[in-house]
Amino acid sequence: MMIQLLNGVVYGGLLYLLSVGLVLIFGLREIVNFAHGALFMLGSYIGFSIAAAFDFWLGLAGACLAMTLVGIALDAGVLRPLRKHDHMVTVLVTFGILLVLESVATAIWGKAYRSMQPPELLSGTVELFGQPFPVYRLFVIGVSLCVAGGLTAWLRYSRTGLYIRASSTDPRTTAILGVDTDRLSLLVVGLGTGLAGLSGVVAAPLMALSPTMGSFILIESFIVVVVGGLGSFSGAFAAALLIGQIHNLGAVYLPWASTMLPFLLMIGVLIWRPTGFAGKRT
Amino acid sequence: MSTAELDPLAGARGTSIRTRWPFHLALAAGVALAVGFAAPHLIASVLWLSLLTQAIVDMILATSVGLLVRQNGRISFGQAAFFGLGGYLFAVLMVREIASPELALAAALIGPTAIAFLLGLVIARIPGVAHAMLTLAVGQAFYEVAFKWRELANGDDGMSVPLPRTLFGVDSGLFQSPSSMLVICWSLLVVLLLGLALMARSPFGQLTEAIRENEERARFIGYGTTLPRAVIYGISAFIAALAGVLQTLYDGYISPEMLHWSLSGMALIMAIVGGPKVLWGPALGAFLLFFLEDLAGDATEYWPALVGGTVILVTLLLPQGFAGLIAGLGRRAGERLGWGRP
Repeated sequence: MMIQLLNGVVYGGLLYLLSVGLVLIFGLREIVNFAHGALFMLGSYIGFSIAAAFDFWLGLAGACLAMTLVGIALDAGVLRPLRKHDHMVTVLVTFGILLVLESVATAIWGKAYRSMQPPELLSGTVELFGQPFPVYRLFVIGVSLCVAGGLTAWLRYSRTGLYIRASSTDPRTTAILGVDTDRLSLLVVGLGTGLAGLSGVVAAPLMALSPTMGSFILIESFIVVVVGGLGSFSGAFAAALLIGQIHNLGAVYLPWASTMLPFLLMIGVLIWRPTGFAGKRT
Repeated sequence: MSTAELDPLAGARGTSIRTRWPFHLALAAGVALAVGFAAPHLIASVLWLSLLTQAIVDMILATSVGLLVRQNGRISFGQAAFFGLGGYLFAVLMVREIASPELALAAALIGPTAIAFLLGLVIARIPGVAHAMLTLAVGQAFYEVAFKWRELANGDDGMSVPLPRTLFGVDSGLFQSPSSMLVICWSLLVVLLLGLALMARSPFGQLTEAIRENEERARFIGYGTTLPRAVIYGISAFIAALAGVLQTLYDGYISPEMLHWSLSGMALIMAIVGGPKVLWGPALGAFLLFFLEDLAGDATEYWPALVGGTVILVTLLLPQGFAGLIAGLGRRAGERLGWGRP
């Protein structure tokens, strides 16, 4: 039972890494980024390729860096020119980017499933609650806790963090008050995409790599973002842990309904509170 | 979409047009039907007839998504749910011999309509991104049921649907032969568009547009706003279910892919690329994307990139979609000829 809960935390942590990027991007650009799952996938493959040539840690760093650059390009090249358009149009554009990125990955890495080994340092198991538990999963928990802690501290105590929180609450007023939201957005979309890359590499040893690997986890992170409340960082954290538990416990105890449960939760929450747990926006 | 631009007929409502619109509409529908009946005689290639038939099914599906945008101002990422539900209801009722084929067909159309109406009563209140995500979740919930529940219809593998010998007294071979199915689907599409055009001009259509423009004000005047929205959800699901049943009849096969959100997303893209502000825009978008996909699919396995690229380009360069472009050009030409604005 404890092991199951821990596995839920592992999955919840991955979901958090992905959905916090979505929240960051939603906060400034007010769009739900459908390409986020594809960026996760791209990060995974980049990490895989670098890890195959050099080693895991270089792959991790390289993928984060590469995806941050991709994010900056995405904001400057697509999201900024589209900011005057209807947000739903921009959402459709990100859907188009998703299709393009999946094809790019197919072209470079092929359709066959790839698998990635965890680094030697993390490949063993430890004894936890009388059962063996892979060290790598503890590492995943550690990474997501570090990111959550670091991000929260940064958002709370730095001036940039203040601006980001302000524009996540109300981007228009923040811009009127003299914050350069476009410059902020470069940073934020870059960071969000970099986090997608990070979660891609971190998740890679736990799942099979394929060009469509992002689509399922993308939908679950949408659920996290919406249930947690659009634009809310703490809401996303709570919702990610909750969905992680539901996902995992459901798979163990209610296998026939497991994939349905997050959707049902989301439908229930939205009907009860259209803004989600902690959100103020719809 | 800024609200002022959403009126598809703005500027075209000159006096002369207003008095003559029933005539124009009837003429357009008549010509379209005639073209449909002539098509099988003009097109020799069975492959092309078959492709056209599939394209028309997509056009009907895109029209259902476009209707939600046009009359409700809502974006749905779950329209495939009703498309697939129509197909599944029909197939399962038939295969299990629970109902006669005619009854199964009626149930396959009424079931999704009723479900969407009831859902609409709830989700119509929720605007914006949350609405889009909610439709996505509802749609995926249906998909998961079809995917997981093996006893229902073979789950993941899908199920072939043996057709009855006759349907409404007609030899059901007609539904699987491209030359006759093309005429059937096309006629249904024309009738649907005609019905939607009439509805848009009816008091009910005007009311839903008023609610889309400003829900609060519509309530001030004394209209209930949830019920009309829910009725639009119902109608839109009816159209999607019709497309699903037609596809099931034509292919003789159902699979959970019919319910998947990527199909919903494609249908939405079709509607947006075509231009949902114009009645026939979504159908045009579906037609163009279907053949783009087909051409690209023949040439390369990377067709999603081409479709994605098209979506990006069209939304950047033609925010009104192709139909918006054509309607704008037509309006300008009309003004030059002197029969646009009074």
